[in-house]
Amino acid sequence: MNKSLRNPLVYILFIFPALLLFFMFFIYPIFSSIYYSFTSWNGVSANPKFIGFSNYLKALEDERFWESAKNNGWFIVFSCFIQVPLIIFFSLLIANVKKLKGLYKTAVFLPSIMSTAVIGILWGFIYEPNIGLLNKLLGLIGIEPLYWLSDEKYAMFSILLTNAWQWTGFYIIMVLAAILSIPRDLDEAAEIDGATRLQRALSITLPLIKPIISVVIMLSIAGAMKAADIVIVMTKGGPAGSTDVLATYMIKYAITNFKYGYGNTIAVLIFIFTLILTALYQLFIARRSERIEY
Amino acid sequence: MTPLKKSIPHIFLFSYLLVILFPFLFVIFSSVKKDNNEIARNPFGFPKEFVFTNYVETWVNAKIGTYFFNSMYISILASVISILLGAMFAFAVTRMKHGRWNVALFSLILVGMLIPNNSLMLPIYLLVRKMNILDTHLALIIPYIANALPFTIIILAAFMRSLPSEIEEAAVMDGLRAPGIFARIVLPLTIPAIVTVFIVNFLGNWNEFLLANYFLSTDTLRTLPVGMVQFRDQYQMNYAQMSAGIVYSVVPVIIIYAVLQEQIIEGVTAGSVKG
Repeated sequence: MNKSLRNPLVYILFIFPALLLFFMFFIYPIFSSIYYSFTSWNGVSANPKFIGFSNYLKALEDERFWESAKNNGWFIVFSCFIQVPLIIFFSLLIANVKKLKGLYKTAVFLPSIMSTAVIGILWGFIYEPNIGLLNKLLGLIGIEPLYWLSDEKYAMFSILLTNAWQWTGFYIIMVLAAILSIPRDLDEAAEIDGATRLQRALSITLPLIKPIISVVIMLSIAGAMKAADIVIVMTKGGPAGSTDVLATYMIKYAITNFKYGYGNTIAVLIFIFTLILTALYQLFIARRSERIEY
Repeated sequence: MTPLKKSIPHIFLFSYLLVILFPFLFVIFSSVKKDNNEIARNPFGFPKEFVFTNYVETWVNAKIGTYFFNSMYISILASVISILLGAMFAFAVTRMKHGRWNVALFSLILVGMLIPNNSLMLPIYLLVRKMNILDTHLALIIPYIANALPFTIIILAAFMRSLPSEIEEAAVMDGLRAPGIFARIVLPLTIPAIVTVFIVNFLGNWNEFLLANYFLSTDTLRTLPVGMVQFRDQYQMNYAQMSAGIVYSVVPVIIIYAVLQEQIIEGVTAGSVKG
């Protein structure tokens, strides 16, 4: 249209700063991680030693690595089989009430905007064995105090519960937005035909929100793979490593134990696992659910 | 429908609200109770007497004031700069005439949304160390700016694309060049989107824990979430003061949320759907 919007110098000037930062903090780190994952290095000394696939073979045999991966798996299982049904249930409820909709919408979202670290501290207090809220509640029905965060049996579950408390509302809002954007006349037509509220939810609303449920599951998987701060704040991976996830195990190795090379191997593996899970999900579940849709 | 049947959903939803809100109430009550004994004796109830000295002592003991200020200025500065750089980039790729380059550059940035950034933490640690800014606030500010760029650019670009092209024609007639069109016409028109992006970026930076925990070691430089965790570890036994600390770190977020909740919900969900 005109020269001033074609000026290459201005164009370069405008894209350069963002692009530079993008390369420094996204592109370079990926390649750097891949490179160091093939080395043995403490992160400080002059020369990383190239050792080929040794780190990867080490990971295959590293029991604690697989224990950590299993805990990431628990995050996924817990969110898909416990959180998602709750999310759908509460979204449908909120979408269908006439009064107090605004209150519910505002309140359920609140935990999701807060710092995970502070939520970890808050829940640590709730789980406190002697004066914490949860044991006091259980005491009312005569259950002996449990050591929520320091007993290997309950520690992981306690973290999952806190994580669910923080994020369920966030997903409810996403699903709710999808439900509210469905044209009302579909629902009204069914209502005139005499369908009950439950029938309408199951046969009209639910099929129409499948794509957003799919997004919620994808986000849960991604979130599960990068969970770290909540674990660090609540248990530091303990007791005896029973709550370590891949990210915290990686940090322990690279920063605390100066095994920078192996730390990066774990980082690359986190990346690969996430890709595989996402791809599998897209291939087998997301696509199939689309086929059922209409 | 009978009134009973109508209230069933509300019963479920109220129980959910109770689960969401009760922990906050518990912490607020505990923060003004005298000591652990008082909390243990009466965990659910209203405090018998209000001990506000907990708040004063926490502010002083835990240096909450210092952490609070650090978090505030780091979060604001990083958010503002990422919006400025992101807006320039978005302007270039949506409003300037460089067809194929625009598409390529924009797609490159989209890739950034797919990368789990936790797994990039180690190389970034090394990079920050090489830049000699480890243990300074820049060690957080620069990565925060970079991290926010993909989301910022995607939202701002979507908004800028929707502006009618007649605006530029008129501006060019009036003799404005590209930087002038950006600064005086497009940027002011983008303000609604900028506000949303600012809030999302600000909250993200305000809440960030991992980098803040590992990239800073000087106590007085710490941000609020890290300071809180440290305080808890040191004063493990004083739950009343710890609760006061939690209240301090949660109140600003609740105030922002109360004022801007519509925009926050919209902005955060927009980002996640696209991510």
